[in-house]
Amino acid sequence: MSKIDRRNLLRAGLGAGGLMLSSNLSSSWAQQNDPIQIGLIIPLTGATSQFGATMGQAAKIAETEINSAGGVRGRPIQIVIEDDQSNPEAAVRAAHKLIDVDKVVAIGGSYASAVTSAIAPLCWEGRTVLFTSSGADSITKLPHQGYIFRTSPTVTLQGTRVGDFAVKLGAKKMFFLGPQTPFAQSYIDIISSIFKAAGGSGSGLIYEDKKASYRSEVDQALKESPDVIVLGGYVPDTSVVLKDLYRAGFSGKKVGFSFGINDALTKAVPAEASNGAYSLVPSASENSEAYKHLVEKMKLSHLDSYSCQVYDHVVLASLALAHAPSGKVDGTAVRDNVRAISQDSEGKRTDDVVDALKLAASGAHVNYDGPSGALEFADNGDVKGVFFRYEQVEEGKLVVRKVG
Amino acid sequence: MISYLVFAGTIAGFYALLSLGLVMTWGQGGMVNLGLVGFVGLGAYASALLSAAGAPIWLDWSAAAVLSGAVGVALCFVVRNLRGDYLAIVTLGFAEILRLAETNEKWLTNGSDGISGIVAPLKGYFGDWFALFYLLLTWTLVAVAAFFLNWLLRSPFGRALRAVRDDEQVAAVAGKSVLRLKLQAFGLGAALSGLAGALYAHLTSFIAPDVFIVQLTIYIFLAVAAGGYTRLAGAVVGSIALVALLEVTRFVAAVIPGLDAVQVASLREFAIAVSLIVVMQLRPDGAFGLTNERSGFRGSRPIQDLGQRQKAVLDDAS
Amino acid sequence: MLTDVLQYLVNGLIVGALIALPALGLTLIFSVLGFVNFSIAAQLTAGAYAGWLANTLLHLPLIAVLICSFVVAGALGVVTDRIALAPIRRKSTSQTPLMVAIASIALNMALENAYRFYFGSGLNSFDMPIARDMKIGAVRIGRQQLHNLEIAIGLAVLLALFFSLTRIGKAMRAVADNVDLARLKGIEPVRLANLATFIGMGLAGIGGALLAIDTSVDPSTGSRLILLIFAGSVVGGLTSLPGAVVGALSMGMIGELGLLVLPPVYQSLTAFVAILVTLLARPGGIFSGATGVRR
Repeated sequence: MSKIDRRNLLRAGLGAGGLMLSSNLSSSWAQQNDPIQIGLIIPLTGATSQFGATMGQAAKIAETEINSAGGVRGRPIQIVIEDDQSNPEAAVRAAHKLIDVDKVVAIGGSYASAVTSAIAPLCWEGRTVLFTSSGADSITKLPHQGYIFRTSPTVTLQGTRVGDFAVKLGAKKMFFLGPQTPFAQSYIDIISSIFKAAGGSGSGLIYEDKKASYRSEVDQALKESPDVIVLGGYVPDTSVVLKDLYRAGFSGKKVGFSFGINDALTKAVPAEASNGAYSLVPSASENSEAYKHLVEKMKLSHLDSYSCQVYDHVVLASLALAHAPSGKVDGTAVRDNVRAISQDSEGKRTDDVVDALKLAASGAHVNYDGPSGALEFADNGDVKGVFFRYEQVEEGKLVVRKVG
Repeated sequence: MISYLVFAGTIAGFYALLSLGLVMTWGQGGMVNLGLVGFVGLGAYASALLSAAGAPIWLDWSAAAVLSGAVGVALCFVVRNLRGDYLAIVTLGFAEILRLAETNEKWLTNGSDGISGIVAPLKGYFGDWFALFYLLLTWTLVAVAAFFLNWLLRSPFGRALRAVRDDEQVAAVAGKSVLRLKLQAFGLGAALSGLAGALYAHLTSFIAPDVFIVQLTIYIFLAVAAGGYTRLAGAVVGSIALVALLEVTRFVAAVIPGLDAVQVASLREFAIAVSLIVVMQLRPDGAFGLTNERSGFRGSRPIQDLGQRQKAVLDDAS
Repeated sequence: MLTDVLQYLVNGLIVGALIALPALGLTLIFSVLGFVNFSIAAQLTAGAYAGWLANTLLHLPLIAVLICSFVVAGALGVVTDRIALAPIRRKSTSQTPLMVAIASIALNMALENAYRFYFGSGLNSFDMPIARDMKIGAVRIGRQQLHNLEIAIGLAVLLALFFSLTRIGKAMRAVADNVDLARLKGIEPVRLANLATFIGMGLAGIGGALLAIDTSVDPSTGSRLILLIFAGSVVGGLTSLPGAVVGALSMGMIGELGLLVLPPVYQSLTAFVAILVTLLARPGGIFSGATGVRR
């Protein structure tokens, strides 16, 4: 390389490096008065997108409420929403962007367990808090150093409830059908052991999730002559399985979960195929003022637990920062202060965001309960104390059968 | 904005490695490898699993390259006598089989949930500068690969390879070890793809079987076609052009109101596919008409190959 | 155990019958035009979408739906062939079959993304009543599936008659065997090429519609089957129409029987192995005695 070329190359390299340096410096200066960024990774499109739209709306409402109350330490918060497209790869790209470019203090939403498992390491390595509504137990078992808070019931809890429920319905033989997810095998194991303890038996099969027909899988399931089939899939594959079960003449009980058996599903399949299917639904705190208030603001008659949780994700992050001593605004500050504002036994119980903000900012003890629940977190990040509803499909519509 | 460009630049480097491999295998060696993406996945998983088991980075990446190269050699041996579009479909199928294996063998690969938290080398050390470091690392590898391949292709090996490409039967008569040359070329291309896969895995921290699909192969074909099938420099230039095209379409799609993420993605893939068709139409000589690639064997490629009836294409020159 | 095997064979026959139509299309196009047209997967999907729209928007009866699928897929096939692939074919070198094949893969990708852009990624079902399967002895078979089998067989027979009895059909076989001779006799290759593409793609379209009626349609419906379709064609010899049908039925059955030993995810593996074994051991396919389009 000639002398001139080398000099130019050096100059270009220094220039690029200088640009990077200055952008880094300016970003830390900018934080003083700029909005606090809170990221959201939600399924706006794709196989798990039934609640995506309402999740986004709920988060926006939280943002408005907090900002009209003066924001956090005089700074407004800003929600940055990314679509994970129901696919972990897109979620990882979104997480990279939120953490490295937008420099968010926390990421909320994170619905599908596969998505959460994929982005979790990025979050704790980037010292960003992850608020998730996913159920897979494996998530909080990761070495997350406290950066993960889960607001949804774990798979262990859900599996136990489904198992007990199915046994109470009088079933003796269980067969599980579901696609590959971080929790599929757990469900098979947990529910089977419940059936075994009750004197019956259980087994299962994990299928490929993008097929247009599940004939062979249904055949395999029916060979075991189960009297209850547990469906562990999301809406697209569950629709196909239900239709194939109907065609195969299965007359036993069908139990699923709210991520699979919900309004979107009942609209997607003929009534004969979905009739009688049960769904285990984590219940929001429907008697609380917070829930009623949120539902009213969203102009709906009813809101799913996941959207309520996303509302709480935003509120928890904001309250934690408002409470943080030394006024630090970053993921570590959020991590260290969430429990202080959500489960302080000496704190004043409130489910009003504005109230809670004032208390937190003034340094008083506060115990925030949100529309999704009381928000008490165990040491590993799992939420304690969850309610469920048991619903059943009747002529194409979901009807509540039991609460508990 | 800067970090965005840095990331795009690193991906361009990733594509460049793959393009160099394809030029080696196809442009110079005459073997079309539509299963490129399979070797990328192989390398990615090998490196991810080894690094999770604690092996140091340089070992992981070397192992990825070696494994992909070895599998490439094995595949090439099995299909050594297949030509043209038959080889294309078989290599395509092979990549699909690899993807199915990655999906099914959950005990090893964690199946469709993928492997997350793949360690980024020296990330703690570089902190905010990590992205820039990785960009430089990637392009250093591209430069090393390009120089090595260039030296190789100017050597007697390269001449012999081109002789085999142009007319296998004549080359064999002239005493060239046809099989050995083909295995080496294919294996080298596969090894480069495996290395690129390892690079990708440690950059994005997450891999899953659905990342390694045929679309990526089409991207690389576009890069190579645009740059000139037989030319190493063309491969690099083509890769940069490819990334530029991808980012331009992302920008254009962002300007169109009311598009959701799925539509934006489809628009970009559509643009790539159409670009490949356009490039193939405009390129007058197909693969091997470039005059500075003389091998000394100017035979016409035989249409009839070893008992297979390969029909002459119905041309529209009526 | 025997009933299991029987059930798998029946399932295989059903799958095979649906694959037979696009496999016929692929073989026809290869015979007359001389290259493998991968975009047949996209036309299969086009036929499925066209049929779905005809069913859900226009509420047409089954026969009309299938005609719709045939025409739309066939027309789209010819149009895309002329725009995307014909210009490449015009430059006739020894590399051309490969180049056109690669271009057809790109074309397939372009079309699939166009569908995804317009229709989204979701599964779309036909507006047909859902019915319990029938039981014939110990074997379960869906009503729609039986229908599909009948239609597929009927179409194969129709096609056979077309090629042996009509003037155009015979002309197509002539072109397939010897282009120059055909030209001498006054047969115009380009028009025949277009007709072959139209019929071939149209068949794939009907196959797609029948498949979608029984299950659903999404942008990747065709692409998921391309290996299987190609296997059927290759095993049958790539230039033999009856071979394509036999090959497709065989692949269907082998694929299902494979479930006895392989996990369901690996079904495509049987197709791949079949292709590999055929190309390596018996490149002319199992009908290697037959040449061209002649029976």
